Amino acid sequence: MNRLLVSVTFLCVSTSVALVLIPAVLIRPFAPQTPSDLEVSYLLRYHNRWLTLMLLLIGLSSVLVLWQTMRRRLAHVLLTSSCILLGGFAVLSWQNHFEWMFHPMKQEGFTSAEKASHVQSSDMVLAVEAHGDSKAFPVPAMAYHHLVNTQVGGEPIVATY
Amino acid sequence: MDGRILHFRLAGINNQNFIMRDEETGTWWQQISGKAILGPLKGRQLERVAFDEVSYALWKQENPRGLVLLADPKLEKKYAEADWEIRMLRNPTVTPVDSRDPLKPRDLVVGISVGEVDKAYPVQKLLTENPVTDALGRTPVLIVVGPDGRSVRCFERIVAGQTLDLFRKTGSSLFRLVDTQTGSEWDFSGKAVSGPLSGKSLPRMQTLKDYWFDWKLYHPRTSVYHAGELRRISGS
Repeated sequence: MNRLLVSVTFLCVSTSVALVLIPAVLIRPFAPQTPSDLEVSYLLRYHNRWLTLMLLLIGLSSVLVLWQTMRRRLAHVLLTSSCILLGGFAVLSWQNHFEWMFHPMKQEGFTSAEKASHVQSSDMVLAVEAHGDSKAFPVPAMAYHHLVNTQVGGEPIVATY
Repeated sequence: MDGRILHFRLAGINNQNFIMRDEETGTWWQQISGKAILGPLKGRQLERVAFDEVSYALWKQENPRGLVLLADPKLEKKYAEADWEIRMLRNPTVTPVDSRDPLKPRDLVVGISVGEVDKAYPVQKLLTENPVTDALGRTPVLIVVGPDGRSVRCFERIVAGQTLDLFRKTGSSLFRLVDTQTGSEWDFSGKAVSGPLSGKSLPRMQTLKDYWFDWKLYHPRTSVYHAGELRRISGS
C-alpha cells in the first residue's frame, strides 16, 4: 500500500511540474516555436489550473496517509517537499511569467504634449488619430509594456509594440 | 469583436513576436498580424487601426493639441533606453535564414502591403534615396523620410485622378516635395501647401517598420526594393 501511495505522490508531483514547465519551456524567447508547440502550450495553460489543483488534493491526501505510516526523518522531509512542490506549482499555474518580465500598465492615462516631460524629442511614437482625437504612444514605454488597452476617439483599441 | 470589447494581456512569444490573450475568451492572438491563432476565436482578425510611426518632435509639431501616454511611474526606469535599437541588433533570431536573402535577419525594413502585393523597403536605402518612387501592383507610391531623418511615410501618388512624380525641393530650409506635373509644393504630411493643387492631400498608406526576419515570416511572398522579386522559398 505504501509503495502505491509513494508512486501516486511521485506521479502527482512530476505531472504538476510538467504541466507548468512544459509550456514555459516551449514558449520562450530566443527559441523557435512550431505550430504544435503553440497548440500544446495553449492546451496545457488552459487546463493546468484545475489540473494542478486536483493533483495537489490527491497528492496531499496521499501524503497524509504516508505520514502516519512512515516514521523515518528522511521520509518526512521528502513528503514535506512533495507538498511544497505541489502547492508551489499549483500557484505557479495561476501566474503569467511574461508579465513578471513586462508588467502591464496599471492605469493608462494621457497628458497634453506641453505637460509631457517624460518623452524626448528624438523618441519615436506610435501616433493614432480617430474622430478628432489624437494620441501618441512613446515607443520606449511601448517596448516595455508591449500592449496598452485604451481608446481613441471612442474606438476601443489595443496599442501594441 | 462581435460587439464585445476585448481586453488584452501579454501571453507569450512566437518566433520573436509576442502573443497576447484576451481576458474575455482566453484566445491567443499574434501581435504582428492581429490574428487569433488558438482558442475560441481562432481565425478571427482584429481590425488594424491606421497609425503613424514618427518622432515625438514631429508629432508635437503636427498635433499641438494631441495627448501623450503617461509613463507608469513605478516602471519608468525599466523603459527602453535611447540606444535600445542598437543593442537589439545583437539579439539572435530563430526563424530560418535563406542564404539567397538580400537582407540580414535584423535589417530594418519598412513593409508596405497593397492588396496581394507586399514589399519591403530597407531603411538604409530609404535614407540614401529619399524619396523613393515606386509602384505596388497598379498603385504608384512614394516613400519619404521626414525632416527628422527618422520618420517614414508612404503616400499614393494620385491626386484628383492624376499620377504625380515627386522630388525633394533643394535649397529650402523647410521640408518640401515638388511634383513635376503641376509644380505644387507638398509638406511631409502629404498636403500641398502651394501651387495648383494647394490644399489637396496625397492619400496616406500604412507602413510597418519591422525586422526583415519578421516581415518575411508573415509576408512570405514579399519582394524587396532594389533586389528584384524575391523568389518564393520552396517548402515554406
